[in-house]
Amino acid sequence: MSLSWIFLGQLDSIETMSTSKKVITREEWERKLKDVKIRKEDMNKLVMNFLVTEGYVEAAEKFRIESGTEPDIDLATITDRMAVKKAVQSGNVKDAIEKVNDLNPMILDTNPQLYFHLQQQRLIELIRIGKVEEALEFAQEELAPRGEENQSFLEELERTVALLAFEDVKNCPYGELLDVSQRLKTASEVNAAILTSQSHEKDPKLPSLLKMLIWAQNQLDDKAAYPRINNLSTAVLEDPAI
Amino acid sequence: MPASATGNRPEELAERLGVGGAAAEGEALLKALREVKNQIIGNKTKKLLYLHLGAVPRIVSVLASVAGGGDAALIVQAAAAIGSFACGVEDGVRAVLDAGAVPHLTRILSHPDEKVVDAGARSLRMIFKSKLTPKYDVLQEKNMKFLLSLLYRENENVTELAASIIAHSCERNEEQKALYDAGILQRLVKLLGGPLNQRDACLESIEAIVRNNSEVAQKFACIDNGKALSSLIELIQDRYPRTRLLACICLITIRHASPCFVQEMQIKTKLIIILIELLEEPGTAGDEAPFALTNLIMDEEELHRQAVSINAVDKLCNFFYKGPIEPRRLQGILLALAELCSKLEKCRSQLLSLQVLNFIVDALKHDCTDVRIAACSCIRNISRSLKNLSAGHLSSETVVVPLVQLLHDESSLVQVAALGAICNVAVNFAPRKSVFIQCGGVSQLVQLSKSMDPTLRLKSVWALRNLMFLADRTDKECVLMDLTISNLASLICDSEHPIQEQALALVSNLVDGCRDPFEHAFAEDNAIINALTRILRGASSPGVCIQGMFLLANIAAGNELHKEVVLNCLLPPQANGDSPLFIIKFLQSKENLLRVASVWCIVNLTYRDSLCSSTRAARLRDAGIISQIKTMVNDPCLDCKLRVRMALEQCMDFENTHHVH
Repeated sequence: MSLSWIFLGQLDSIETMSTSKKVITREEWERKLKDVKIRKEDMNKLVMNFLVTEGYVEAAEKFRIESGTEPDIDLATITDRMAVKKAVQSGNVKDAIEKVNDLNPMILDTNPQLYFHLQQQRLIELIRIGKVEEALEFAQEELAPRGEENQSFLEELERTVALLAFEDVKNCPYGELLDVSQRLKTASEVNAAILTSQSHEKDPKLPSLLKMLIWAQNQLDDKAAYPRINNLSTAVLEDPAI
Repeated sequence: MPASATGNRPEELAERLGVGGAAAEGEALLKALREVKNQIIGNKTKKLLYLHLGAVPRIVSVLASVAGGGDAALIVQAAAAIGSFACGVEDGVRAVLDAGAVPHLTRILSHPDEKVVDAGARSLRMIFKSKLTPKYDVLQEKNMKFLLSLLYRENENVTELAASIIAHSCERNEEQKALYDAGILQRLVKLLGGPLNQRDACLESIEAIVRNNSEVAQKFACIDNGKALSSLIELIQDRYPRTRLLACICLITIRHASPCFVQEMQIKTKLIIILIELLEEPGTAGDEAPFALTNLIMDEEELHRQAVSINAVDKLCNFFYKGPIEPRRLQGILLALAELCSKLEKCRSQLLSLQVLNFIVDALKHDCTDVRIAACSCIRNISRSLKNLSAGHLSSETVVVPLVQLLHDESSLVQVAALGAICNVAVNFAPRKSVFIQCGGVSQLVQLSKSMDPTLRLKSVWALRNLMFLADRTDKECVLMDLTISNLASLICDSEHPIQEQALALVSNLVDGCRDPFEHAFAEDNAIINALTRILRGASSPGVCIQGMFLLANIAAGNELHKEVVLNCLLPPQANGDSPLFIIKFLQSKENLLRVASVWCIVNLTYRDSLCSSTRAARLRDAGIISQIKTMVNDPCLDCKLRVRMALEQCMDFENTHHVH
C-alpha cells in the first residue's frame, strides 16, 4: 500500500518538473545562437586586452601585426611591467623591487600591503634556499618593524617565520607559502598595482565576460533545460539533462 | 640588512652622498643614491635612520648641482629619494622643506627628459600632500601662470601635480576666486575627461576650489551651460569606487556652498544610496564613504528620513557583525550612526533593536582617540530617546562604567565627548542613581567642574544637574558632600554665563522635592543666596537671570524667614537711588520667562496667608515695584498677565485692609 503511494508521489514530482521548465533542443538552441551577431573587431580587442593586461608583450606585438588591432596602452610600458612580474615569478624579489621603484617610486611607498608582501616573499626565498641565519636577520630588520606598524602584517609574518621551525619545510602547516603559487600571487599583486598606477584597469575584460556567462546560465537553469556550456575551456554545448 | 659587501652600511652609504668632500662622484654616487632610495621606499624605519644620518640635505645638494643640466639618471634618483623621504614621515617632510628641495624639483619639471619630469612631478606631489608644506601662493600672478601652464602639459604626472598643489593651496575665498578668474577651474573640468588618476586628482582639486564659496560654486555650475555639473552627476555612477566617492564629495560641497544646486530630492537620494553602497568597498573609498554620508545629511531631518527609508541604519550596523573594523572606517560608521540618531526617534529605536549597543560601548575602549569620541557622540544621541532612557536601557553598568572611565581619559576632547553622553544618560527617571555614583562618576564630575577648561566645567556641571533631576535625598546628599556648598557658590559666580546657568539649574534640582528645600540654599552662611544675589545684580545673560529668578521665586514660597531673605535680596538695604533694582530691570525685560519668573517672585512674597506679607507689600510698593507691575496688566505673554493680575490682587487687598497714610 505504502509502496504504491511513494511511487505515485515520484511520478507526480517528475511530472511537475517537466512541465514547469521549458525544454530547448540543441537544434533550436544552435539556430538561435546563429542569429546573434558578434563583430570580429570586438573579439580582437578582447584578446588584445587580455594579452596586454596579463603582460604577454611579444604575443601582443605579434597579434597587433597579424590582426591589425591596436592595443589600448603603449606596449613599451608593458615591457617594464613584465620584467617586474618575471623577476618575482623567478624569485628575484630584490630585483623586482628595484625595477618597480625605477618604474614608479610611489607605488611601494603608497602601498604598504604590497610592500610587505614583497618583503615577505624575499624572506620566503631565503628560507627556501636554507639560509636560516640570513632569513632571521632579514625578518628582524626588515619585516618586524612592518609588523609593529600593522597587526595583520604581524600575523602573516609570524606564519612565515614559523616555517623556520620545521625540519620538513615543504610539508609543514604553512608549507604552501613555499609553493610557486605564492610567487604567482605576489607577482599578480605587483602587476595590478603597476596597472593601477598607470590609470589602467587591473583586470582584463575576458574573465568578466565568462563570469557573466556562468551567471546567465545559472539564472536560466531555473527556468529552462537547454544545451549548456559546462567546460569553459572547450565551450562545447552539452545536451540538456532530460 | 644581512652582512654584505663592505661599504653598504647606512652610515657608509650616507657618507657617499653629497657634493664635494668625502662624497662619491659619477657612477659611485649614482649607485649610492639608488641604493639609499631602494632602501627607504616603503620603509619608515630606514627613512628615519637616514634622516638622522643627515642624508636629506646631502641629496638635495646633489639635486641642486645637477638640476641645471647634469646627468639625467642622477637627477631622477635624487628626486625620487627626496620624494620618498617626504612620504608618510613628518620629519622627512620637514627635512625636505628645510633643505630647500622644492625650487629644484620645480626646476626639473621643464627638463627635456620625460623620466626626469616624472620624477620631479611625483616627488613634488608627495611633498604637497603634507599639511606641513606651506601653501603655494596662488594670488601671485606668476605662480598662477605657472600652475596653468602645468595643467596644459601632456604629462599626466604633471597635471596631477598641478591639481594637488591647487587642492593644497586654496583656502580663502579670494584664492578660490583668483583660481576661477585665471581659468584654472575650467581647465580642471576639461581634464576630467582624461585618464583615471588624473580625473580623481581633478575632482579633489575642484572640490577644494568651490568649498564654502557660494560665488565660485555658482560659477562652476554655469561652466559650459551646466555641463560641468552634469558631468559630476554622471561621475557619481562611475565604475571606479574612488571616482564615485570623490564625485559625491564634490557635489555635497557644491550643495553646501550654494544650496540652489543639487537640491532635487532625487539627486540627494541618489547620493545617499551611492554612499551607502560604497560602504561595501574595501580600501579608502569605503572608509571615507560614511564621512561623506554624515556630511551630506548633517542637520537635515528630511535627509535623515530618506536615509532611514533605504535601510541606512541596518547597513551601517551590519558592519559590526563582520568582524574587526579598521579604525578610520569604524569612526566613520559611528559618526554616521550618531548623525542619524541625532533627530529621529525611529533611528534610535532601530539601532537599539539591532542589538549593536554593546559594539558601540566596546568602541568606548578603543585605542584610537577619534573612535572613542565618535562612540561617545553616538551614545549621546541615542540617549536623546526619552523612551529608552526611562526604560533604563542606557543606564546599566555596561554603559555607565566605560563612560565614567573616559572622564579620566588623557585627551580632553574625549572627556568632553564623554561628558556629553553622560549628560543625557544621567537623566535617569529611576529614583536611585546608584550605578553612576557607585562607580565614582560623581567624584570625577566634581573634579572636572574645577577644571581650567570652561567646556569641561560647563559639561560636568550640566551632567551633575541632570543627575540630580528627580534624584532621591541620599543621592543629593552624596553629591553635595563631594561638591560642597562653597564650590557650588563659586560655580554660580563662574566667569562663564552658561556655567552660571547650569549651576543655578543644579541648585534648583537639589532643592526640588526636599523636605526642607532650602536648608542648602541657606547653608554656610547663605553662601548660595549671596552668590545668587551677586550675579543677579551683575550683568548676566538672560538664561542665567531666568534660572536665578525662578530659584528665588521658589525660595520665596517657603516660610517667613525664607521670604525675608528673598526680599532683602531684591531690596538691598544699602541701595542708592542711582542704579535701578535688578527686579525692575527684569520686569521690563523682553524675555517672557524672565518677566514671568520675576512676577512669580512677587506673588510668592505677597502671598495672602503669610504673616508679614503686608509689610513686604508695602516695602515693594515703596521701591516702585508695584507701580512697575501695574504697567504690565496687558502684558503680551498670557502666563505673565495672569501672574500680574494675581500679584496686583494680593497687593490691593493689603492696601484696602491697611489704610496707611
